[in-house]
Amino acid sequence: MKHERETLYIKGGRNTEVAKPDVALGDILSMECPDKMTLAKLRAMKIMKFPEKGRGRRVLSVLKIISRIHEEFPELDVRNLGEADLIITYEEQKTPPRIWHLAKTAFAAAAVFFGAAFSIMAFNNDVDVTKLFGQIYELATGTQTDGFTVLEISYSAGVAAGILIFFNHFGKKRFTVDPTPMEVQMRLYENDIQTTLAENADREGREIDVDP
Amino acid sequence: MWIREILLAIAGLSAGVAVAGGLFSFIVELGVIADFADRTHTGDKVRFYEDCAALGGILGNLVTVFHAGIPAGLPGLAVFGTFTGIFVGCWAMALAEILNVFPVFMRRARITRYLSLFIVCLAAGKGLGSCLFFFRGW
Repeated sequence: MKHERETLYIKGGRNTEVAKPDVALGDILSMECPDKMTLAKLRAMKIMKFPEKGRGRRVLSVLKIISRIHEEFPELDVRNLGEADLIITYEEQKTPPRIWHLAKTAFAAAAVFFGAAFSIMAFNNDVDVTKLFGQIYELATGTQTDGFTVLEISYSAGVAAGILIFFNHFGKKRFTVDPTPMEVQMRLYENDIQTTLAENADREGREIDVDP
Repeated sequence: MWIREILLAIAGLSAGVAVAGGLFSFIVELGVIADFADRTHTGDKVRFYEDCAALGGILGNLVTVFHAGIPAGLPGLAVFGTFTGIFVGCWAMALAEILNVFPVFMRRARITRYLSLFIVCLAAGKGLGSCLFFFRGW
């Protein structure tokens, strides 16, 4: 009798946060299998355990997950559609005091605000826009500049427009549906961090993997 | 005469847009603001930080171009100095990071341990250099 092997599809995200120290498969993977009974058992299957206290982060190879599944369901044909290395972060979900969050935001906002102001001032000073505007003004009109001409006004309007176009929004108002450059940058940064975590763990042999 | 004023206005406007685009993509691509958001765990506020950067840029530009006076006094100067210092420090390091200065030196010199010591030395050196620069009036 030829027995048709069931196929289980698993898909895990690259970086998953869990709130409990006991991590079950259902916490870190989304799974699909025609046999719903198996699926429910798999969801509850324990895969790893963090130390009770505080926080932790482990990198888990998907091979380890598959080998654990095969221990209990040897007949199952497992196909991974997600990441090969899963970063699992355990953090006790206690929200820090709101005031602390606000203070940190205010601090970062002040650094960004003054920093941006300083950057444009340093730039204007460095290339000596005052002198340059005087020269352009004289070239165009033949008269001496008084330092407050249409050039200075339009330049300032241009800087404001350029910044707002670049950032693609001001306050809640968005100009197009694209994500803003900072949002893209944050994601890129996160990706870099995750790649580093996974590769460090692999290189230092701390990844939870099947024996090579 | 009108045509010249209009030409000047167009030139000024284009210059402003080009400068703003260049300078701010530099700031954002260096990841200075992303670093702040990450270190303070306030990634949900990046939009707000963008607003702050936009406002800072616009106001800072107005101050330099029109030589506007801000009667903030010494405390205002201290605040301004502290935060611009933090920003420029992050900027310098972000620039070094983007240019892969650290990985290259670590590999060449085969440095694998005491990484934090090197970072402390780097910060101390930068601070000392900055102090020298100002105290000696260079």
